[in-house]
Amino acid sequence: MKLTVSHPAHIREGVTINKIMWSKIAILLVLSLISAVVFGPKALAVVLISVLAAVLTEAGIQKLTKQELTIKDGDAVLIGLIMALLLPPTVDLWIPVVGAFFAVALVKHAFGGLGSTLFNPAIAAWVFMNMSWGALTGSESIPYLSGYTDLFIEFGSGRLAEVSSMVLIIGGLYLIYKKYIDWRIPTLYLISTIVMALLIGEELSYVITGMLFLGIFILAPDPTTSPITKKGRFIYGILCGILTVVYGYLTYDYVVAVLFTVFFANAVAPFIEKNTFPKPVNEVSA
Amino acid sequence: MTTEEVKKETPKKKKESGKQVVIPLLQHIGITCKPLVKVKDEVLIGQKIGENSDGLCAPVHSSIAGHVVAIEERLHPLCGKISSIVIESDETNRAIEYNPHNNPSKEDIINAVQEAGIVDLTGYPLYDMLTTYNRIDTVLINLTFPGDVNSNCAPENIPKIIEGMKLLMKGSGALDGAFIIHKYNQSLSSVIKSKLHDENIEIFTVKDNYSPTMANLLAYEITGIPVPNTQTPLDAGVILSSASGALAVTRAVNEGIPHIEANVTVSGAVRNPGTRRVNIGTSFKEVIQSSGGYSGEPGKIIMNGSLNGTAQPNDEVPVIKSTTEIIVQSTDEVLCESPGPCIHCARCVDVCPVNILPGRIASFSDMGMYDECFKMHVSSCIECGQCFYVCPSNRHLVQLIKFAKVELVKLLTIPDEEATPIPGCQTCENPCLLGEPFISGGIA
Ligand code: SF4
Ligand code: SF4
Repeated sequence: MKLTVSHPAHIREGVTINKIMWSKIAILLVLSLISAVVFGPKALAVVLISVLAAVLTEAGIQKLTKQELTIKDGDAVLIGLIMALLLPPTVDLWIPVVGAFFAVALVKHAFGGLGSTLFNPAIAAWVFMNMSWGALTGSESIPYLSGYTDLFIEFGSGRLAEVSSMVLIIGGLYLIYKKYIDWRIPTLYLISTIVMALLIGEELSYVITGMLFLGIFILAPDPTTSPITKKGRFIYGILCGILTVVYGYLTYDYVVAVLFTVFFANAVAPFIEKNTFPKPVNEVSA
Repeated sequence: MTTEEVKKETPKKKKESGKQVVIPLLQHIGITCKPLVKVKDEVLIGQKIGENSDGLCAPVHSSIAGHVVAIEERLHPLCGKISSIVIESDETNRAIEYNPHNNPSKEDIINAVQEAGIVDLTGYPLYDMLTTYNRIDTVLINLTFPGDVNSNCAPENIPKIIEGMKLLMKGSGALDGAFIIHKYNQSLSSVIKSKLHDENIEIFTVKDNYSPTMANLLAYEITGIPVPNTQTPLDAGVILSSASGALAVTRAVNEGIPHIEANVTVSGAVRNPGTRRVNIGTSFKEVIQSSGGYSGEPGKIIMNGSLNGTAQPNDEVPVIKSTTEIIVQSTDEVLCESPGPCIHCARCVDVCPVNILPGRIASFSDMGMYDECFKMHVSSCIECGQCFYVCPSNRHLVQLIKFAKVELVKLLTIPDEEATPIPGCQTCENPCLLGEPFISGGIA
């Protein structure tokens, strides 16, 4: 009889990185399919090319540096998928390829791979594409919430991710319910966005877009780039809401506002984290 | 039947009490007992066979009648090898004369608890809690640790647990008592409520399960007095015991029987799981056999809880006073995935009961940066195991944290031969604990 001796715990809850990643991917795939309904098959081509480029880049890098292949954990797929959803369907197909390479090679692996990234790779790549080829990656229309049906399917959207808020809301709630993402950031982000918009006197129909829900449920609570302290996540959520509304108010583009918000918030996340280290409950200050 | 005849009989597999018991001389936090018997001595059930009056120590007693066959180092379920007394049964039930108390005074209770060598689930000798210098206001009995509740809270035991609570209150001079029950354990709280006829004893419901290592947190939760990890609940004026402790107290005072039995729940990959009354010193193997034996190939045997219990090197280890649960995992239940990178999902932070950052500390420990671990309060960790339980990346958080603690102790203590008096230092004449590097700049 051979017995294993190890440290506690001896059982696990069963949530794994793979499950977290692939649930997110499933939600975004539904979104991609709806975008194909709205924009036609070109949208699917953008998604496919982008995912393929991201996966191939990751595989190439890991082969070259003789690391273990980690395509299975779904991170590269997720990066490619999110990045594609941030683009308009009219984009030239070489742009997502460059973007995916930038995201996976420079933002993910150059910083140490999964778990060590400073910025969310998909967003950093979007910022890079936006800076380099602003005209090519810009969207033709900015969605506007004109009725409740727009929450389910939005025909006026400019980017793939905006086509259905409902998918993102239901998916996001599922993620929170399964504890795949933390509830603090989404809740605080949503509340602070609405409160801020009301304070400024902005019409909510401009503020609430599909992109906002992508930000709330997928981009902002991205585990690696958000603070790990409890208090830090509160502050992070509030900060995201404020930044979104301020940026959107100044530029009249609440879609791009979400993306830049998450990018900036990623940049200050380590700072927030450092200043909110918790105090152990069983340590009494002298 | 004389002893000679008994010895000649071929040993039969008996139901509960084993043929041989191994009684470790250390089953508590404190110093090891000195054996009071020699090899070949006859011992009776309940006879004291080890004690040490030089310090904190709970005496040990024989749990069967027979004779001592060896006093040697044997495997211990918690701490490697410990010198133990091996007793072979003579298949009789000859016991010493017990000395029960009717209507005991405070001193009677303290004496009985000390003589009985009662050890609580935390491993702390219970008499020491009663004789503490701190003023004790409250006696708490934690009924939220699943292992303890499953083993000891059968309805027929409840009156004894309540009696134990009253004895502890009397012995410590506390005026209040409370049972702490998980809020979903309605059945237990209603049973206790129906048996409880004393307005000084209350029932508290809490939201979490508190394992014995979380005593300080529980005391804080109930009393509101923070208990730092260098102290015990006693410093907050609280005696925190368990169902197993309370039962043992009742038996010791009312029946005079020392702590020689434990209720043990066997679960997992065995044919016939359930709770059994087991003599201290019986090997895990026998307990498992009396539960129908292994079903399938065992992969891991765990004492006291899957979350923070201790995995055993083999099944020869004895049941000790603080054993309440034996869990057998089959080979395919044993976790053996390799760890991945930390994705900073903060799930570990959300579950940590002491509010530290387990993932971050473990990463620092992994990189050998123990000073950073220290700054992040690694010593506050109570090794509850919850962070590892939830980590999606399978990081060995508890192991890394424990490792950092051990390394820190090594870093912070200076070996004796290096601790020399520093010539010229006026502060004291003792070997300098700070070591030369810190001082030399200042004095020389
Ligand atoms: S739970 Fe695991 S992956 Fe998540 S932050 Fe903690 S250590 Fe990292
Ligand atoms: S084992 Fe993990 S969860 Fe438990 S106290 Fe230690 S760090 Fe916190």
